[in-house]
Amino acid sequence: MIAQQIINAVSLGGVYALLALGLAIVFSIVGLINFAHGELMTLSGYALLASLVLGFPFPVAVLVAVSCGALAAVAMERIAFRPMRGASVTSLLLTSFAVSSLLKVVFQNGISARPQAVAMPGWMTGAFSFGDFTIGVGPSISIVVSALALIALEVFLRRSVTGTAMRAAAEDFDVVRLMGIPASRIIATAFLLSGLLAGLAAMLWVAQRASVDPLMGFTPVLKAFIAAVVGGLGSLPGAVAGGFLLGIIEVLLQATLPGAIAPYRDAIVLSGVIAVLLVRPQGLIPAVRAQRS
Amino acid sequence: MPSLYRLHRAALCAAVFGIAAISTSSAEEIIIGAATAQTGGLAPYDQPALAGLRMSLDELNAKGGLGGKYTVKLLIKDTRSDTAQTATVAQELIDAGAKIMITPCDADPSISAGQLTQPLGIPTLTLCGSAPVLTGAVGDVMFGTYPADNVQATAVADFAVSEGKKKVFLLTSPDSTYTANLPEYFGKVFEKKGGAIVGRGTFSMGQPDFSAEITNIKGLADKPDLIMTAAYEPDFPAFIQQLRGAGVTIPVYGADAIGTPTIKALGKLVDGVVYTAAGYAEPGSKLEAFNAAFTKYAGHAPESTYEVNGYEIALILDQAVKTAGSDDPKAIRDAIAGLKDFEGITGKITYAGTDRMPLRPVALMRYEGGEGKHVETLIPEAADVPAP
Repeated sequence: MIAQQIINAVSLGGVYALLALGLAIVFSIVGLINFAHGELMTLSGYALLASLVLGFPFPVAVLVAVSCGALAAVAMERIAFRPMRGASVTSLLLTSFAVSSLLKVVFQNGISARPQAVAMPGWMTGAFSFGDFTIGVGPSISIVVSALALIALEVFLRRSVTGTAMRAAAEDFDVVRLMGIPASRIIATAFLLSGLLAGLAAMLWVAQRASVDPLMGFTPVLKAFIAAVVGGLGSLPGAVAGGFLLGIIEVLLQATLPGAIAPYRDAIVLSGVIAVLLVRPQGLIPAVRAQRS
Repeated sequence: MPSLYRLHRAALCAAVFGIAAISTSSAEEIIIGAATAQTGGLAPYDQPALAGLRMSLDELNAKGGLGGKYTVKLLIKDTRSDTAQTATVAQELIDAGAKIMITPCDADPSISAGQLTQPLGIPTLTLCGSAPVLTGAVGDVMFGTYPADNVQATAVADFAVSEGKKKVFLLTSPDSTYTANLPEYFGKVFEKKGGAIVGRGTFSMGQPDFSAEITNIKGLADKPDLIMTAAYEPDFPAFIQQLRGAGVTIPVYGADAIGTPTIKALGKLVDGVVYTAAGYAEPGSKLEAFNAAFTKYAGHAPESTYEVNGYEIALILDQAVKTAGSDDPKAIRDAIAGLKDFEGITGKITYAGTDRMPLRPVALMRYEGGEGKHVETLIPEAADVPAP
């Protein structure tokens, strides 16, 4: 049972890590916490649903959905955030809230306020026995996908020119521009990556909840924000560490808290976050450069 | 505000909501305020109920209005599924002259609206809020319309006992009155009739990770033969998906909030799930006729029994105004409170002798092969129903 709970924790932590990374990658470059990140997930969820309804095979539908998330992120940058470039942190933050609210209303009025069931393939709700405990296929996929995505991102950032430029931009954007690297390309790539991560996280999220609804992006973006702050805003390794930490604490508390205290779980988690920030105000693994305005 | 602008806004309002705001000198007018969720988490419940109410009011208006005398002007404002916003729009509706108030499908916003209508004596009816504490929390103007949680829970418990179920696991969420109390009412009846509660678990609404709770269920030394929960969408799909995904095949029972197209669309995943409804459309029944009429009116079949429940609210009001013989809110309130064996669409509805949560039949349903199949319709024994 302990092994089972560890798997649960790693599986949830992996999803949180993907989400936090999506927020952090944009923040490290532009200094924007994109609260519309959750709506990218919602959009990917609806794209998955639409593809399945249109009769696409499941892998194709997933591919379409993740691409939709990535493209939507780039479009979001073009339409909403590019005109705001150079604006204050507060203006950017408010813009992201506006985009988020707007998309929610569009989903509610354009699609339906009611959650739509997404029929996941039967094999995904299966489980296989391993010794004396059973592992669900869902959590296993969740762990594998998160791990692969994290490794792929790391390789991209370390080995490719754009990746190197992005890491450099996170440290000092002005110098990177002086080196002749176009700012727009770096920023667009950051949004593309964050959209990809949102799309992937959405697939794992939807696989767990079996439905999509207009408001489904709210909880994940909140978790991602908490994870990113605990990890150290703007720090990519920090976001991953924060995501896993949050997932592990949540599952641990849910598993062990006695019934009478269980409703206070979220309060306890957030108190833990405050405690971490008191000890390490810059987060677990602080960003190389502090937040710019 | 300049009066021209106000006039303009009123006209716009009427145009938007499609209300005939023409007042002729012969007919009298009564304003019904509907503070309901058009957006947010309650919208999937409020909107079907409101559609039923509007259909019924349209039909009544064609026959002269409530009691054949008072043409109804229905003012609708969006609460955004927010409790504070519900109070704000309720106040606006009161200021606009509402003599009857309709509130959302949940206890908390309904109570917040009730705090405003209670001192003014305006009869207030929740669309499908079913928490039995709801009416007591407000006062004598507040009426439930849907079968109360403790009544529904008793019906499900009676059924579980009749099936030979012995051990139940209760899954609750403290985040709403409905999700917190309904399974506990079930537990009370179940224990009284010889069953045992072998475990309890909680969840946070809107949070899709049930893995830790499911591992706890799997690890129970005393295995339950039933899981009872009042979780609804989006939590219920997440719970059952992960429960079955973890290889747990224990049956799951719930109540009215999972009788929706979303849950039905989960198909095989929800096979065997028992839930409740306000009625069942047997061939030749009034409800079947209503479903056909509603389909014609709205262009789509009713999604659930919330539509017919909304429809019945207007019938209750019509009867109350007839009895009261006036549009005085206090007289209407007294008339509703005195209703006995009123013939609705789903069966007999009684308020007399209750604390304003109606006595009415509960239909038990079970999902099989992606369809809701009728199990039985019953009115639980009043003595069995646990106190709120």
